[in-house]
Amino acid sequence: MRRPSLSTALLWPALLVMVPLLLGPLLLLAHESLKPFVGGRIGGDESGALTLQNYAQIADPQYVRYFLDTFRVGLLATAFALVLGFPVAHFIVRRAGPTMRRLMVGGLVGTLFLSIIVRVYAIAMTFGPHGPLSDFSRLFGISASSPDGAELMVVLGLLNSTLPLVALTLIGTLQNINPRLEDAALSLGAPRWKTFFQITVAMSLPGILSAAIIAYAFCISNLVVPMLVGRGFIVFVSNLIYFRFSEVANFPSGAALSMVMMVISVALFYGLLSLVRSHWQEAGK
Amino acid sequence: MIQSVLDLQHVTKRFGDTAAVDNVTFEVARGEIVALLGPSGCGKTTTLRMIAGFEQPDEGRIFISGVDVARKAPYERNVGLVFQDYALFPHMSVAQNIAFGMKNRGVPARDIAPRIARVLEQVRLPGIEGRRPSQLSGGQQQRVALARALVTRPDVMLLDEPLSNLDAKLRLELRHEIRAILATFDCTSIIVTHDQEEAMGLADRIVLMNKGRIEQVDTPVGLYQRPQTLFAADFIGHANWISGTLARRAAEAGVVETKVGGIAVAPGAVADGPVTLCIRPERLAIVAADAPADTRLAAVVERLDPVGADLRIWSRLGDGTLVQSLEKNVGRALPAPGVGVTLGFKVADCIVLPADGAAR
Repeated sequence: MRRPSLSTALLWPALLVMVPLLLGPLLLLAHESLKPFVGGRIGGDESGALTLQNYAQIADPQYVRYFLDTFRVGLLATAFALVLGFPVAHFIVRRAGPTMRRLMVGGLVGTLFLSIIVRVYAIAMTFGPHGPLSDFSRLFGISASSPDGAELMVVLGLLNSTLPLVALTLIGTLQNINPRLEDAALSLGAPRWKTFFQITVAMSLPGILSAAIIAYAFCISNLVVPMLVGRGFIVFVSNLIYFRFSEVANFPSGAALSMVMMVISVALFYGLLSLVRSHWQEAGK
Repeated sequence: MIQSVLDLQHVTKRFGDTAAVDNVTFEVARGEIVALLGPSGCGKTTTLRMIAGFEQPDEGRIFISGVDVARKAPYERNVGLVFQDYALFPHMSVAQNIAFGMKNRGVPARDIAPRIARVLEQVRLPGIEGRRPSQLSGGQQQRVALARALVTRPDVMLLDEPLSNLDAKLRLELRHEIRAILATFDCTSIIVTHDQEEAMGLADRIVLMNKGRIEQVDTPVGLYQRPQTLFAADFIGHANWISGTLARRAAEAGVVETKVGGIAVAPGAVADGPVTLCIRPERLAIVAADAPADTRLAAVVERLDPVGADLRIWSRLGDGTLVQSLEKNVGRALPAPGVGVTLGFKVADCIVLPADGAAR
């Protein structure tokens, strides 16, 4: 028999904290989601029989829309972050000199230190319906005060965080790609754009997927951005859960929403992660 | 030279104030294998990168098959490259790697598969189309890299330190193999290396570089037997050095006055004045005191080093200079350390070089 090593032993403190603090409350939340809700009281009815009515409610198209909005807007903010962030990371890794590189990485990390409230309000004040640059929305053919305008503000607000997250993640990925592979492609007659897509981007795919997962997880769990600039037009599931718990004190409904969101998110990330893993194997890593 | 495929004329590349490549001029004939040899930082890799198109020369012109390519992008030149670390695309199979260049060079789709099969046979790796680079040994990756570059029939093949990532035994094997493969394709090739043995074993001619300049361009044998500079004599093989002052009239035979006496030298182009004499160890022999030799020097044996088939004998001359001579290890009686001997060599074996810093 092998004696438990020190590193195994050191896992215990974390487990002791995580199990009661995370798993315990989650189980309670699952239990709460099955309780019937009676108006006027805080929390589910302790005496009533367990029910699935809180879940049945979510299948209503009204609710499904919140889920769709969350995943769609999150997807937009993630996609833009990838499209804009990849060239930034590529520039930092391949072209920038040491000073430029330090400045740019410092800038990216710095933005993450700035409170998201500050950044989102700044965006709203600048590009929002009353901002000096409200015509910015017109570039996309939409009015700043319309629901589409609100969606644009939410995407911009999320992008503010996802862009640095994605760029910083991809810097690591690109640094691991041998620049001579790009030279090799050029010497084999591939023009620069083809080399970029067939070698650089293709080899970064696992990193791109990882960055996408990080950015997407940030987006769909976000509460502050839709709350501040969604103006009621864009409401994420997180906002809905927040309303349920804090405004109307319908704990069972909030709990049910939380459980559904959690299951969908976990399934989504597990799917994406297994995609990353299969890609790595395919790449013969 | 019948027809030069590659022609560099006064090529200069500066990084900041230093010239990485300084006024380099040489030609390579069709089918010829030329090695760019020199210590690290001598400009050989920058020269290769300029031929490939990754760097642009500040001055000078580069012709490939008669066309000035100095301002053309890498993908606009028909140049094949084999990298030190092979740079095979890890996310592609061997077949996809080899097909990559053909697709970009407009080879018809139906010809690609048969050409992959054929080139893999030519590099003696038939049937590995479906493998990933990570599933191949270093030597196999090397040959796939060669196949990938050769399959598009480049005008010039550039090989960057092709053997430095392999172990010593494999290196020797692959050296012959690369020569044979390049000969099969009759491909004009440039090999960049810091390893003189590799350069000598692979190349028809060697361009010896130092500090961005060409020291000498010669055949491997010529470079060893007729070095024109101290650097060339020192970089290739071993040498004994004796400095002195040359006195002769014009290009006649003359005498070099040294601390160990006058040494007769053959006619040559080196001007009178301070010179350094270079005598290869295998041309210096322990001889009987009255044996016929053009020059005889008294020495005391200091140490004997067995080096396989040969014995390296270190002796000290009258002025304290340590010299080495090579004796075949054939069981002949050898002097013990501390014994006085006579070292002899022929006039023809004494290479006269201008002393360091003197005008060439």
